[in-house]
Amino acid sequence: MIDRFRFIVNETWASLRGNLAMQAAAISTACIALILLGSAAMALYKLDALAQSLPNAFEASVFLHTTVSRAQTLKLKAEIEAMPEVAQVVLVPREVAWEQEKQKYKDDVNLADLPNPLPDKLIVRVHQAETLPAVSARIAQSPLVDEVIDSQAELEMVLGAARLVRWVGLGTGGLLLLSALLLIYNAVRLTIHARQHEVQVMALVGATLRSIRLPFVLEGMVQGLLGGIIAALITVLSAGLLSEYMVSQWPLLKDMPPGLPPGMVLVGVPILGMVLGGLCASWATLRYVRI
Amino acid sequence: MRSETTKAMVELKGVSVAFGEQYALRRVNLKVEAGEFVFLVGATGAGKSTLFKLLYGALRPTEGEVWVLGQPVHRLKPRELPYLRRRMGIIPQNYPLLSHKTVWENIAYGLRAIGYSEQAVRQRVAQMLALVGLNEQARQYPHQLSGGEAQRAAIARALANNPPMLIADEPTANLDPDTSWEIIELLLRINLRGTTVIVSTHNRTIVDRACQRVVAIDRGQIISDVPRGGYPIELERLYPSVAL
Repeated sequence: MIDRFRFIVNETWASLRGNLAMQAAAISTACIALILLGSAAMALYKLDALAQSLPNAFEASVFLHTTVSRAQTLKLKAEIEAMPEVAQVVLVPREVAWEQEKQKYKDDVNLADLPNPLPDKLIVRVHQAETLPAVSARIAQSPLVDEVIDSQAELEMVLGAARLVRWVGLGTGGLLLLSALLLIYNAVRLTIHARQHEVQVMALVGATLRSIRLPFVLEGMVQGLLGGIIAALITVLSAGLLSEYMVSQWPLLKDMPPGLPPGMVLVGVPILGMVLGGLCASWATLRYVRI
Repeated sequence: MRSETTKAMVELKGVSVAFGEQYALRRVNLKVEAGEFVFLVGATGAGKSTLFKLLYGALRPTEGEVWVLGQPVHRLKPRELPYLRRRMGIIPQNYPLLSHKTVWENIAYGLRAIGYSEQAVRQRVAQMLALVGLNEQARQYPHQLSGGEAQRAAIARALANNPPMLIADEPTANLDPDTSWEIIELLLRINLRGTTVIVSTHNRTIVDRACQRVVAIDRGQIISDVPRGGYPIELERLYPSVAL
């Protein structure tokens, strides 16, 4: 068993060594394709987490002018509650919101000495999501209201970004992956051609088809695995650096939900590369290795 | 209907091989018993290599049955062929030794490919090198060998698994007369140890000198089968310039 394993490993190594330029082409293309796919997967995961973290589609946030008194706020709250489409209105007083903000950013900036810049906020919840835009528009007409943020719009924006990432990332990554797979297929096909004598000798002495094909399949798996490992390292490192840079520039981004765990990318992408490489190589051996 | 199995080493029953309209073999019947030494002679393109390929399953007959070592090769599945080939030593015409491996490694390669342990490989390779007289050339690469030495190494590789039958397609092609005879002598010695040997050739001198069974084939048909004789007169008449 060990002798057979050693023979197959030796044959795989001989295949890999035999055509270095083609191996490099297959590995680098697989790597680029997997970087794109890995990045797209990470971005999609982040956007999905962001969409999940947003208030539901039934809510709108109503920000009043900072000059509005508490009495005027409560009056407006009562008017909104009287609307038939509205299920609930919650007041977030400006002093409560300011305390929350100070707590949230206490490690990054000292807000204690600053005057409170925040207005009162009303969170309006409707019975049916589709009535939210109309309710938001009616509330926005009030002279007390500075801005109405409709969470549906935010959700749409995030989902739109997710769609873009999905189509562009997966489309480009998919095309590159296809070319990587064809390159792996071609590399294995060329190796089979280059090692035709070995294949013939093995076939004539009575080696099983599996023994003859396995080294070539392993070659494809190694190409996919190497491409995947390099891609995973590059993806995780660049995502980490990019995230660090963006948070340093825009501290508010710290509140974004966490992205795909790096461990998952470091394990998942090489495995994906290995499986796809193995499948491509199997396809090539089924076509070109016969006895 | 399933045919009867046979006890002969090789039995071809009404075998034809056609490539489109062209017949490479036509209704060939042949039986080779255990321990025989058979020359298969004929001009280039007569059908010798096609017949050999049928024996080890590289080709399937268009019609008829091919039995080798009791196995119906004509209906074996690809996954069953390797187990038949392990019981046959095959020396094809166009697959020389692996150029980047030494003689020792070339012989070991085949054994490793079919799962021999390293200890068994060392033992078998040593026996084969002694059998073919290549002990001194064990560490040499094919380009360092003479034509005869390379052919002896190929014979050693084919015999390494101790098969009961050896088939050699034109083993003396491109060899000078003395070296050709050396190779045939080696094959005769192997035959005396009990191995059935089938050799294809169009070398008249060695066929005459060896005085073994001679089966002549021409344009895909067996035209003579002499138990112990020289190069068939029928072929000499047909191709006087081919037979050396």
